[in-house]
Amino acid sequence: MNWPDLSMGGYGFYVWGSYIASLIFIVWEVVSLKQRKKALTQQQQSSKAVSAPVLRGSINETTS
Amino acid sequence: MNLYKYASPATFYPLAGKLIPWFAIPAALLFATGLFVGFFIAPTDFQQGDAYRIIFIHVPAAWMGMFLYVLMAIYAGIGWAFNARLSSMMASSLAITGAMFTAISLITGAFWGKPTWGTWWVWDARMTSTLILLFLYIGFISLQAAIDDARRADRAGAVLALVGVINVPIIYFSVQWWNTLHQGATIRLLQKPTIRGSMLAALLIMLAACWLYSVAVVLIRLRCIILEREQNASRFAEVGV
Repeated sequence: MNWPDLSMGGYGFYVWGSYIASLIFIVWEVVSLKQRKKALTQQQQSSKAVSAPVLRGSINETTS
Repeated sequence: MNLYKYASPATFYPLAGKLIPWFAIPAALLFATGLFVGFFIAPTDFQQGDAYRIIFIHVPAAWMGMFLYVLMAIYAGIGWAFNARLSSMMASSLAITGAMFTAISLITGAFWGKPTWGTWWVWDARMTSTLILLFLYIGFISLQAAIDDARRADRAGAVLALVGVINVPIIYFSVQWWNTLHQGATIRLLQKPTIRGSMLAALLIMLAACWLYSVAVVLIRLRCIILEREQNASRFAEVGV
């Protein structure tokens, strides 16, 4: 095992830049998925309480 | 055991939930191992110095971008041809992860190109065709988002995905067909790879990690899509549409 030189022999900006950019993408994907899941469970709970009045209203508007 | 029953979203949903940790946890462990081997064990390249360490994320991301596109087109095609809902949902789920990996490969490629070629971007055959791949993914995602009826969106997306699949061999063979700035393949199926063992190990571990990660996030997203569509269907059923 050899400890890497953090400056990457002068290429630090490029090496760390690409890993940080990749990390941002992966974190973004995981976080947005978590939010999507959370929004779904919240929606499910609220639709159980009141049976989708918003959608019902909007469909009546378009069909009437 | 009747495997066909898992083609139904309602029975696949709990199975997917059980499978997710089996992919997510090894993915995290392999990412850590791959980065460790790539940064602590693999030696500095005699030509490119440490800049070459970008390939440990660049190459797996580029492979995943291409592979997930083919997989997406297959699922979209099956969903269209056999009217299999779950298959189409799988295609929608794959698109975002595939687009993300393609974007990672383009950005890390630019980070690699600047110090080694002296430029962030050139309209080289491989890079241009990879950019087209990203546009195909974005086109697929936006087309599906633009159509309200889920099954119509699936069919329209399937046409786009299947037509676009021609781009994948173009990307893969672009370095042989045209005189490109991008280098040829280092790892081939039937020949000995031209890189050192520990470098190859880091690359393959990172590839396995990207694979497992993709399966985990695609299954999580698939579960969301199943729920979303079921909710919409039950709401429409409720109001009698």
